[in-house]
Amino acid sequence: MTKSMRKLVASAAGLGTAAFLAGCAKDAPQDTWQPKGSNAQKIDDLQKPVFAIAGVIGLIVIAVVTYVIFRYRDRGQPIPEQTHGKPALEIGMTILPALILTGVGVFTFRTVFDLAKTSDTEMIINVTGQQWWWEYDYPVQEEFGITEPIISSGQLVMPVGTKVLLRETSRDVIHSYWIPALNGKRDAVPGRVHTLRLDADKPGIYAGQCTEFCGLSHANMRMEAVALSKEDFAAWVQNQLKPAATPADGTLAKEGEAVFLNQCVRCHQVNGLLKADGTPAIAAPDENVYSGAAPNLTHLMSRNTFAGATWDLLKKECRDNVWKATPEEFGKKYLAGVSEDCLNQIDLRRWLRNAPEMKPMYADPTKLEPTNGLYRGMPNLGLTEDDIDKLVAYLVTLK
Amino acid sequence: MAIIEQPAPASTPEPALPATPTRAYGAFKRPVATTGWKSWVFTVDHKKLGIMYGAMAMFFFIVGGIEAVLIRLQLAAPDGKVLSADVYNQMFTMHATTMVFLFVMPMAAAFANYFVPLQIGARDVAFPRINAFGFWCVLAGGLFINLSWFFGGAADGGWFMYAPNSGPVFSPSTGVDYWAFGLQIAGIASLTGAINMIVTVLNMRAPGMSLMKMPIFTWLTLVVQFLLLFAVPVITVALFLLSFQRSFGATFFDVAAGADPLLWQHLFWIFGHPEVYILILPSFGIISEVLPVFSKKPLFGYPFVVFSGAAIGFVGWGVWAHHMFASGLGPVSVAVFSVATMAIAVPTGVKIVNWTMTIWGGKLNFTAAMHFAVGLIVLFTIGGLSGVTHSVAPSDTQQTDTYYIVAHFHYVLFGGAVFGLFAGFYYWWPKMFGKQLNERLGKANFWFMVIGMNLTFGPMHILGLQGQPRRMYVWTEARAGEGFFNLGFWNLVASIGSLILSVGVLLFLINVWKTARSKEVAPLDPWDARTLEWMTTSPPKEHNFDVIPTVHHLDEFFHRKYAEDPVTHEIKQVATAEDILAEQEANADKHIHMPSPSYWPLLLAFSLPIITLGIIYSIPVAILGAVITLLSMFGWALEPSTAPDSDYDPPASGEGTKELAPLG
Amino acid sequence: MFTPGSKYFLGLAGFSTAFMIAYIVVVDQWDGGATALAAIACAAGLLAGLSLFNRDGEVKVGDTSAAANAAPLGASLWPLIATVGVVLLAVGLITHEIVFLLGLVAIAASFIEWVVQSWSESASSDTAFNNEARGRLLHPLEFPVLAAVGLGIIIVSFSRIMLAVSRDVGAITFIVVSSAVLFVGSVFALKPNMKKTLVAGICTIGAVGIIAGGIAGASNGKRDELVEAKEEGHYSHKECGPEKNKYFDKNAEKTVSMRSNPIATIELVDGKLQARELGVEGYTQTITVPRANSSTVIFRNKSNEEHRLVLYMGTEQVQEGVTEDILTCTQMIGPDSEQALTFKLNKSSYGQEKPFAFTVPGLEGQSIEAYVP
Repeated sequence: MTKSMRKLVASAAGLGTAAFLAGCAKDAPQDTWQPKGSNAQKIDDLQKPVFAIAGVIGLIVIAVVTYVIFRYRDRGQPIPEQTHGKPALEIGMTILPALILTGVGVFTFRTVFDLAKTSDTEMIINVTGQQWWWEYDYPVQEEFGITEPIISSGQLVMPVGTKVLLRETSRDVIHSYWIPALNGKRDAVPGRVHTLRLDADKPGIYAGQCTEFCGLSHANMRMEAVALSKEDFAAWVQNQLKPAATPADGTLAKEGEAVFLNQCVRCHQVNGLLKADGTPAIAAPDENVYSGAAPNLTHLMSRNTFAGATWDLLKKECRDNVWKATPEEFGKKYLAGVSEDCLNQIDLRRWLRNAPEMKPMYADPTKLEPTNGLYRGMPNLGLTEDDIDKLVAYLVTLK
Repeated sequence: MAIIEQPAPASTPEPALPATPTRAYGAFKRPVATTGWKSWVFTVDHKKLGIMYGAMAMFFFIVGGIEAVLIRLQLAAPDGKVLSADVYNQMFTMHATTMVFLFVMPMAAAFANYFVPLQIGARDVAFPRINAFGFWCVLAGGLFINLSWFFGGAADGGWFMYAPNSGPVFSPSTGVDYWAFGLQIAGIASLTGAINMIVTVLNMRAPGMSLMKMPIFTWLTLVVQFLLLFAVPVITVALFLLSFQRSFGATFFDVAAGADPLLWQHLFWIFGHPEVYILILPSFGIISEVLPVFSKKPLFGYPFVVFSGAAIGFVGWGVWAHHMFASGLGPVSVAVFSVATMAIAVPTGVKIVNWTMTIWGGKLNFTAAMHFAVGLIVLFTIGGLSGVTHSVAPSDTQQTDTYYIVAHFHYVLFGGAVFGLFAGFYYWWPKMFGKQLNERLGKANFWFMVIGMNLTFGPMHILGLQGQPRRMYVWTEARAGEGFFNLGFWNLVASIGSLILSVGVLLFLINVWKTARSKEVAPLDPWDARTLEWMTTSPPKEHNFDVIPTVHHLDEFFHRKYAEDPVTHEIKQVATAEDILAEQEANADKHIHMPSPSYWPLLLAFSLPIITLGIIYSIPVAILGAVITLLSMFGWALEPSTAPDSDYDPPASGEGTKELAPLG
Repeated sequence: MFTPGSKYFLGLAGFSTAFMIAYIVVVDQWDGGATALAAIACAAGLLAGLSLFNRDGEVKVGDTSAAANAAPLGASLWPLIATVGVVLLAVGLITHEIVFLLGLVAIAASFIEWVVQSWSESASSDTAFNNEARGRLLHPLEFPVLAAVGLGIIIVSFSRIMLAVSRDVGAITFIVVSSAVLFVGSVFALKPNMKKTLVAGICTIGAVGIIAGGIAGASNGKRDELVEAKEEGHYSHKECGPEKNKYFDKNAEKTVSMRSNPIATIELVDGKLQARELGVEGYTQTITVPRANSSTVIFRNKSNEEHRLVLYMGTEQVQEGVTEDILTCTQMIGPDSEQALTFKLNKSSYGQEKPFAFTVPGLEGQSIEAYVP
């Protein structure tokens, strides 16, 4: 290589490295290097030194190799001395990395056990993964005002500064629960229960995604952890314990309720919804969906994402208002829920019109032999635009 | 072809005409052709098999590469529409399966097949027909897996195919069946090849070649064969359990029946971790040959490289659960495996030191092969260091299943294994084909590949650490972050990088084609090499060596060409390669027995896909396949390994020997 | 390589196959026409193969003076077997299917053997060469088939013996027979110069003994317990009552229930049932089970008697107006043992009259509620 070429390569390498190091997204919602809770912080405290050491070693190796390839190129020198090795150097270069790694190992050991502790749990939330959404159920915990079990999905609401323990399992295949800002991931395996610690320092919304390949819509299986101050969380619990209100007669929402009873109640439960004869409507997803459950919609509009937290219930401006709120304002904005003005009509209607087209789910009614006629997700219900108008009006009342 | 005789003296009287006809009847006469397609299809010659392994592997490299480019095109923009979710899932599964099982492993087998017998001074492997059988099995398996594209869709569960997603309910198409059975068939090749190679290396070395005088490529290949021998049965079991669940209603991974899905993960990764050492060690072996030759110095610390290779082989069995840190194993297992994984970084790191010290103080000749070899040192180091960051289990729970892992293994596999294989191409092409690949094109090939590779996989470190999970058929703006350098930008860069990488591969193919058409013959010893395989013609004669050399040193060939002046300590050339070859030819052995070709391995290998097709579609077909298998095994057993004289046409009067024309 | 005759047959086979595929595509199902075409293809293929083997029956030798074997043809079994086959075929049409099948097999075997034998006998004048040619063609077929058939007969016979005798006698028989095989095999291995006829004789006696035993066993029928078990379906359903069931609770102490990460463990201590959920400190009387989720609970019996754990999973309607409880349970396990129970509760507890609960039959007032949100 000529001198000028050499300079070109060196400067390119330099620029490349610089660009690389500067080139990170700002505020990536799932950034693993921005811990927002004590568990993620412990991981970060461990990994940053390790990355630093690795980076330094990498640079040393690259530097040495670069040096060698320039210094010892063939310039007509005689055949060099045929050194066969230097045991001292090699043993040294075996012991040195071993020592460094032993140090790393000791700290790793401690952090692993710290992160596995369950004896200091303050709150338990059961998490169940299913193709392709997450269900949460909060067992009775009087100290947080949870006097009856609460079921929700998509957005995991928890109080700030509280040691929450998730108990994860799955109804069908292996999924994985991951909120990078709060902790590493833990697989949700059918037939087993795995625990994961979460706690958030400040109120806010923390994004996550299913991170174990789980089939067709693995990419469309998301979730968020929503941390609220302790007072806000108590208010949220109070709201969740209320059954859904029956809409007033003669409104569009009342007609929507009829559509809901006709179509949706086969799978989706709304607590407090009454059938025409006055008895509670009980959903039977185990008879319609292969994996046996569907999201509970009683308080759909108290969360701001839907369909496996993949689409927003809020229009863009309203969404930014909530998602980018400061920790002090966040609780109030989140608890306001989804109002009719802020509802993302487009995506919600698209979903009601033809869900499998938005999110591939094998909900095709012509291909149901392997599951004995049961759906693998929400099917295309063939609703008319009229029905959709009514349904949307009803769904908006499910705060 | 079986027996090479010196010409008989002319005074022997003509024998009386026999009552026995010299030709047996039937279409299934033993194939003894020495030229034409039959000499390839029925061959048991390790060199021809090596070339066929290589051609097949290169074909699948291109197939896997196209699958990769399609993936990158889908991910170049948010909410991509290039591939549907279903096709994307099939694409990444098949990309990985093809690259791991149908490209890297067979390509390493190609080099091992061609060069291990040459490097140890043998004339062929211990079991030539089994060698042929292995090749045909991999071909049959590879074609079988890819048949699934045309018959209902390919496997779509990811290359590690976790249960219960891989079971009959959640993967109802036949894709996973094709995948499992195809891998079973290809796995047979690995297993039989391993036994073959171990027996060859342990028993058929040239006189004087102790184990510590064996070339390093052969040593590391030997370690790989032991890894294969113990790892492939584990995945065979796993695939049997899966196939029985899918085809015959077994409940090994059926949770409602009480099964634990983690069983599959353990079985797969007990295979899967040694598998990655199987993928990388041959390339380590290749560059351990290439670096010394182009530095004009021996490999620094040969015993350390050997022992660290063996250490990796051993310790590699104890780290499999580092692929399962997030799977819910519990803190004790996680902590233990985390520490074990850190331990295995040590012998791997030692090799980097050895290679760097080999080129330190040398006389470096930057041929294309040397470019790839040095590239491996740097790129594998980067990949290895990101691997060390994964070994920290809590950190890995953030990194696993994200693009950071994808970056890691592509650096070690592409920057490591593939670059090593390319170094092998450029280094050994003159020996295999008698012509050198064009050096300028080779260097262009290198630069496009290294730049393309870094542009494609470098940004994936950022993508992963910033939260983009893997195996997603789309990524969205909502999770991509703000700023110019957000995840969208890096995804685009990675996609462009993949196109540059493809150009690099294309340049290699063009180089091959140009070289094939060129008339320029390579010199006998173009690189001034060090090991025994260069003490032959280019390409080697069918029987490799006219006389089996006696070995006195490691790097025997180098020591025959060069001697150190005891006074001045200067290293001077005392013989050229041509001199050494001429001396061999002058002392050629009189009777050399070579194994004869056979069609039974081919028949046996292709009966296996018939059985598996039958299991998928119709049991009577499977029974037919089983019958053919049984017949072939018996036919093979009843056939002598060397054809009797009566299988050959007698020489027409005036002809002397029955020797073949040389290969090429 | 392809003789003219074989080319015609191959062409016929190829065209029939192509027509068959086209036919199936057009008609969109497999019917008589497709069968006929398939049959033609197979027959033509077979004939092509034969004419290839025989090189169209043309004898080509390196030297015309190598005349065909002038020696008289030896005796052959195959015409006889072919005749027997035809007879069996006819008889089988009237009596049993198996006889018909045997007849087909006999005909096919004799056909192949006879054709090849007659071809090989006229190949040359050297009987050794002729035998070698026949062997090269047919040994890969004969040896495996004979081996498979022989092995099959011995295995089936031995299995009939094992099914007929009682379990203990069966174990003894197994040990005796296998020791005999080992002993005789060692003797053969240590005395390689033993006379062939002696070896063959010993093997034949052994085989005949086993086959005779097999026939006797088959005619005797399976032992009573097996017959009874099949008829009464002893092992096919769970018995969840308070008594120990002879069949369902068999070998309970030999089960291994090393399940990791069950949703809860339920312990019976001092006459009390208490549950410990995974990840939750302390004991509870209610466990939460996600609906429609295969969950596993481990039952630990820390009392002094044998008990089982039963789960009430709701009711189902078996007939008009008749509902039955759905129960699942572990086996009856002894003191200080444990067993896993995997179950799936599909319905929510909301709207159930009686809650889902784990109980121990025989233990009043103790239950762990399984709450399904």
